Amino acid sequence: MTADALSTPPPGLWLKAASRPYRRLMGLSAALVVADSIPAIGFAAGLGLAIGALERSVAEALPWLVLAGASLLARGLLGQAATLASAKAAAAVKGEVRQGIVADLFAGRRPAAAALGAATEAVETLDGYVARFAPVRMAATISPMLVIAACALASPMVAGILLLTLIPFAVGMALAGGAAAAESRRQFQALNRLSGLFLDRIRALPTLLSFQAEARTTREIARAADELENRTGRVLKVAFVSSAILEFFSALSVALVAVYCGFNLLRILPFPVPETLDLGRAFFVLALAPEVYAPMRRLAAGYHEKQAAEAATPAMASPEAVRPVIRPHARKWSSAPDLDFRSVTIRYDDGTTALADFDLHVPAGSIVALVGASGSGKSSLLHLLLGLAPLSAGTVRIGALNLTHLDSFAGAVGWASQSPIVAPGTLFDNIALARPAATATEVQTAAAQAGLHLGLERILDERGGGLSGGERRRLGLARAMLSPSPLLLLDEPTANLDLAAEIAMLAVIRTAAKGRTTLIATHSEAVIALADHVVRL
Amino acid sequence: MNSKNRTLRSLIGDQRRTQRARLRLAALAAALVSGASVMLLGLSGWFITGAALAGAGGLAVVQGFNYLLPAATIRMLAIVRTGSRYAERVSSHAAALKALAQLRPLLFARLAAAPLRRTFSLSSGEASARMIQDVDAVQTLFVRLSGPWGAGAGTVAAVGLTLLAGPLPALVLAGGIAVTAVGGLLIGRIVVDPAGRRVQIAMGLFKDRLSALQAAAPELRAYGLETWAADQVGTTARTLDRRKRDDAVAGGWIPVFQAMVLAVTVTGVIMASVTAPLPLVALAALASVTGLEAAAALTAGLRQNGAAQEALQRLGEVLDDTVTTAGHRSARAMIGDAVGLRSAGLDMAPPFRLGIVGPSGSGKTRLIETLMSLRPADDDVFSLGGLPLALADQHEVRARFAYASQDVRLLAGSIADNLRLADPKATDADLWGALQDACLADRVRALSGGLDAVLGENGDRLSGGERRRLGLARAYLRDAPWLVLDEPTEGLDRETEGRVLDGMVRRLLLRRQGLIMVSHRAAPTALCDRVIDLSVGAAGEAAVEVLGVRVAA
Repeated sequence: MTADALSTPPPGLWLKAASRPYRRLMGLSAALVVADSIPAIGFAAGLGLAIGALERSVAEALPWLVLAGASLLARGLLGQAATLASAKAAAAVKGEVRQGIVADLFAGRRPAAAALGAATEAVETLDGYVARFAPVRMAATISPMLVIAACALASPMVAGILLLTLIPFAVGMALAGGAAAAESRRQFQALNRLSGLFLDRIRALPTLLSFQAEARTTREIARAADELENRTGRVLKVAFVSSAILEFFSALSVALVAVYCGFNLLRILPFPVPETLDLGRAFFVLALAPEVYAPMRRLAAGYHEKQAAEAATPAMASPEAVRPVIRPHARKWSSAPDLDFRSVTIRYDDGTTALADFDLHVPAGSIVALVGASGSGKSSLLHLLLGLAPLSAGTVRIGALNLTHLDSFAGAVGWASQSPIVAPGTLFDNIALARPAATATEVQTAAAQAGLHLGLERILDERGGGLSGGERRRLGLARAMLSPSPLLLLDEPTANLDLAAEIAMLAVIRTAAKGRTTLIATHSEAVIALADHVVRL
Repeated sequence: MNSKNRTLRSLIGDQRRTQRARLRLAALAAALVSGASVMLLGLSGWFITGAALAGAGGLAVVQGFNYLLPAATIRMLAIVRTGSRYAERVSSHAAALKALAQLRPLLFARLAAAPLRRTFSLSSGEASARMIQDVDAVQTLFVRLSGPWGAGAGTVAAVGLTLLAGPLPALVLAGGIAVTAVGGLLIGRIVVDPAGRRVQIAMGLFKDRLSALQAAAPELRAYGLETWAADQVGTTARTLDRRKRDDAVAGGWIPVFQAMVLAVTVTGVIMASVTAPLPLVALAALASVTGLEAAAALTAGLRQNGAAQEALQRLGEVLDDTVTTAGHRSARAMIGDAVGLRSAGLDMAPPFRLGIVGPSGSGKTRLIETLMSLRPADDDVFSLGGLPLALADQHEVRARFAYASQDVRLLAGSIADNLRLADPKATDADLWGALQDACLADRVRALSGGLDAVLGENGDRLSGGERRRLGLARAYLRDAPWLVLDEPTEGLDRETEGRVLDGMVRRLLLRRQGLIMVSHRAAPTALCDRVIDLSVGAAGEAAVEVLGVRVAA
């Protein structure tokens, strides 16, 4: 919590910084939203002057009617252009932020679950922020002034009235907005808590059933839901008061403008004014008055987009400052190395300790089985060698090389797991991923050694393209055999295989381990039997 | 729409009835808002034009022009509009919130009573997360209930005011509103909906690819494929972004179309009403602008309805599942707590201790979860209290077992919350006693907060072995005739295993409980009266082999 608070900038600043590279595109979309005022003025002018001209003849009114219609069309098209520009800006900002998160994810700089959420749900909130909130925010300050300036051309008095109503309007907005923002943050948290509770209890449903706690849990959820309802109700009232202020001043200003114009046209104003209006000008300012407030009402409507993005910011902000960038070095050992772990501790950023004070020596060329319950640190130990888990204390030596917390042996080890990645392409390409420079013969040999007796030209899709569970694991082992590395790491290579498939796999593992130093994390008794040494974690 | 969403629709129907007063107020207020908006602008136009004509006509005409009434009406309309908008929002949201506060617990209760197949499929993966979003989407549906009233009132007010200028302009306006509404809906259906679906598909592909590659992160790293993987994700992400942009643009055509209709209609209304007095022309012109805007707001709301309808559909599937009736079929009551396993020729009652062994995948966990009615019972493997399991009342079955599963699921909450799941009335001393017997008391004492220490989601502050022992302590606290344990000492060193087993025996003797335990280790099975091996045949078949029999105490 405190580490988060220290390492992440305030959400508002972070969002600004994240969108800075695309400020031109965002500026364009904001400019298009501001430009919306021009056809709005055109429409009001066309309508006003047409009504004014109708006093004399229909023919005289016609050009103004055309102006009004054309302005409406232009307004629609400008709006569409603004939509396109905002969508492009949002895609650009999202793409960049997401790319950073994904890169962190594959480099082990972020915890996987958090990074997945950040790259999907959190990044999507930027859509609303960049495409719907940011352009409207700029328009909310510029557009009203533009519209009032246009009013001033027809009637400086009306412009004055509009400006005057704008002041209490802005003050009211700021007051209500400030109170609402604090309240709604708390409400947002309450909502997240309830959603979290609901999700947690649904996932724990089998456990709850076994303890017959359904009724109790239902009551617990009902209580939390009631509390949220009360809280949300209060927040919304504050929020609605602020929109009521908007509404009131926008309605009041239309009424004031109408009454002022009417009395001016009747020439019975109780106070002297420096202008005498005609119907066309009066109608123009009347039609334009609601446009002064429209941008601010749109801003109020888009405010929750900003809040959603700000709430998601801590998930997106890069933790780079905390953990150094890990750059894989391509290292080579001419023969199978020995491994030496001394007082090794693995502690993740969130404080969980996966392994503490661990010692192990692995002789060169031997097979070591790591066993223990899930969560005991088997996988963390393998991840440590790949730089995906932090070396918090102790030393790790592989052959003559030391692993420091800044470095890893990634790129120089063979790896096979229970679900090797399948890339869209041929089986041949998939094996060759391990060493793109390999010759066709080398790939064929690796496939044969792994017992993959399928056509190498077979096309696979990313879901595994018809490979069985066993064949998929053989693909992973074929990669490991193709890789020149004399260090082989296997993560649960036989999990979820039936007995016959497991026994068939053992032979392949034995072949792959020949001439290599091999670490296997496993639950399987058969795999344990194959190992030279067994380490219980 | 059809009988499919029966439960959810009847729930929403109930809530609509319960919240009737609020929803009526919201609808009335929405109608007032639109009506007042239309009349405010229309009347203002009429007033100004009338005033201009009167002003031009000289003092006598001015004095004949009743300006006080319209001026006062305009001010009143401004206030009515503000007040109504506030009332509409507060009451429609209050109704939605209250309905939602009912929906969540009800949904949970339904899920808990749903067939077990459904319960298990929801307890993992994305389905549960999606349900949260779906519930939120239903809220918007409630808030929008007042939308059509607003649009309707706006239409009626606008057409009514235009009628003052003559039947022809009113007809033109009514036609324009119909074209705006129908055209907006058609564009929505033909252009926007498919674009929205394409976004959903692209989102699914992106998430799939990302999570598949993430799962393979070590392999990518081992072969230096991080950049390749990031590119792969990037390709699907760019497709997603493109689809989102297309969707935004597709949605944007609705306002473009409506602006076009507005231009044609307003021009048409003015041209059609030129024979009327000028103030009425002005009134018709401004009323038709606001009337069309009110109608356009309706289609904007309908556009997002698609997402809400899909959410309703998915929630409906969950809620319409037939509630398990197995428990209510039986007229006969169970007598005693004896468990019979026919295929093994076993008929045991507490304090009997049964061990179950077998290789992984042989169905040990499935067997015990079937016994506890946590999985559907397909055939007649077990009898309980003299009844075949399939005929027994589900609640009575579950009441007979205290279960610590192999993969312990902990609740987000404190350690005490998790323990009291088994016994809400347990005192702190009871909790410490159970922790002591599970060899976890020292560890909990060391946590800041002790019993009140808050665990993260699924207890991720504890190690695998500690979570397992917390699960064990939780099972100890439940007062049931049978204690059922799945690999209770997996991952423990020999010494800790010995202490855990001592604690377990102490508990069994204290409570006079029976034991049914799955384990592949020697020390736990040595405590059993009888051990059955599932390696020979599938779970529960006649081939179950009885390994060893110790004389029961």
